[in-house]
Amino acid sequence: MTSPASSSEVKYLIESSEGNTFDVSGAALRQSNTFNAMFLNIGADGPIPFTDYNEATLKKVFEYCEHSVNEENYSGPKHQDDLSKWDLNFFNEMDQKMFIDVINASNFLDIERLTSYCCERIARMLRGKNTQEMIKVITLPTAEELEAKQKVEEKKAAAAKKVAEKAAETAEKTETLEELPVQQLVQTTRNKLTRKYLSFSNE
Amino acid sequence: MSSPFSLLRLPRVVLCEVLKSLSIGEKILLSLCSKRISTQINNAQFYSQKVIVNLDMLCQGIRVHSENNKDTFEIFPYLISSSSHNSDIHQFPIAGCSTPGFSIPTGIKIFWNNHREGFLYLIRHLLKMFKCNISADISYYNCDILQPVIFELFDLQVEFKKLTISLNGSEDEHLFWNQISNKLGLVEDLIIYYWVRYLFRPDFISWPQNITIMNSTGVTLRFLFACTSPTITLFKSLLDNNDLDVILRRWKTGGLLNLEHLQIQSELLKNNGTTILGMKLWDLDGMVIQNDDGSKKATIRVGVQCIEMSVTSSD
Repeated sequence: MTSPASSSEVKYLIESSEGNTFDVSGAALRQSNTFNAMFLNIGADGPIPFTDYNEATLKKVFEYCEHSVNEENYSGPKHQDDLSKWDLNFFNEMDQKMFIDVINASNFLDIERLTSYCCERIARMLRGKNTQEMIKVITLPTAEELEAKQKVEEKKAAAAKKVAEKAAETAEKTETLEELPVQQLVQTTRNKLTRKYLSFSNE
Repeated sequence: MSSPFSLLRLPRVVLCEVLKSLSIGEKILLSLCSKRISTQINNAQFYSQKVIVNLDMLCQGIRVHSENNKDTFEIFPYLISSSSHNSDIHQFPIAGCSTPGFSIPTGIKIFWNNHREGFLYLIRHLLKMFKCNISADISYYNCDILQPVIFELFDLQVEFKKLTISLNGSEDEHLFWNQISNKLGLVEDLIIYYWVRYLFRPDFISWPQNITIMNSTGVTLRFLFACTSPTITLFKSLLDNNDLDVILRRWKTGGLLNLEHLQIQSELLKNNGTTILGMKLWDLDGMVIQNDDGSKKATIRVGVQCIEMSVTSSD
């Protein structure tokens, strides 16, 4: 079910890179500035495609958003020591790959609170260390890996463009429907159903 | 997450946020891990806070600190010959070259062929990383190291928080002064120690925000009226009551246009028969005078052999 979000009861369908869909509450989804900018006021026609991220990553991200729905409004980065037990468990149960995927997804979805906590967690890995200790903590990528990273960023930019285009298309459709007089709208729907009926009959 | 973390695979915005939350020292240490990381830190300079780079020649080092002085880091350039006995030495990439060094609790020690080169490379490295304000103290004992650094910084239009210069009247000093006198607009606080026995009187082509001359026996009224610095402080001056009278009258008629604060300390400021604006010196204490067009007023404070004048707008 997808419709303009006005209450926390509204559910949105999210589509992952595997093509799987799952529900996310409007309240959780509204923590994403990317979502707010693209879909909040116009709704979405069908599942929202966040197809650059796998289901596990997206579910993890939105698990965080669902949890923080009832927390007070975000007011800037918090020190890691101030994180709740739930927050700490949330981060601790992730392996490194999942952590990086979550950072990437959170960054794309522009979820300030989650991105900020992830950044703080990375900063903590570096604090109080000398250069040699820092080198042990961070992996220095090869030229090939950096090239691959650039390609991934280009791909993400293309995906973001695709999402934006879809949002614009949906907005256009909504406006067109709103502009049609009721009688014309009824006639259009009737024509569509007739065509559908005829196609069934031919089969 | 005990395995190595791929820092450079993070999205740029995230990496910038991580860098923003590190201290000055952590950023510097991280920049020494690899050229690529150093480049990323330089690219994130926009997010970085302003730092003050203090060229501390007494300690033969560079102290990098925040404006509130709470976050500090020290870098000591040592001569390369003294590096052979330390087992903790590693190669650090600095400003396009690789140099040996090691960490100490308050910062790092880095080894160079000579101090001058060390200071130049380190400052180039820091200038790429941070928005730097420089603080330096140039004297006869360090001028061979610091003068080339100062030239380069002025050429790069880097702002100086504080520049202290001890003038001793040597030929080198004349040349040095001539090369920097048109760049002093980049300096917030200029402090000059003047060696009385030398006759060299520096010409100013540009002026700092605040100028303090510690031994200002050579400072004349002509110098004072040419000065466009808002804050002027003269210690050990030879200006007397008559000069003060001229200064105040000139200010009233529109002279010393930029002046906000003037402090003169002189043995010749005395409460004798000579009047200033028709009054005795001590009678001026606490007085508020106004300039002729009524746009500004100045509060006068008189101390022992000292006078202060604070200018405010009449509004």
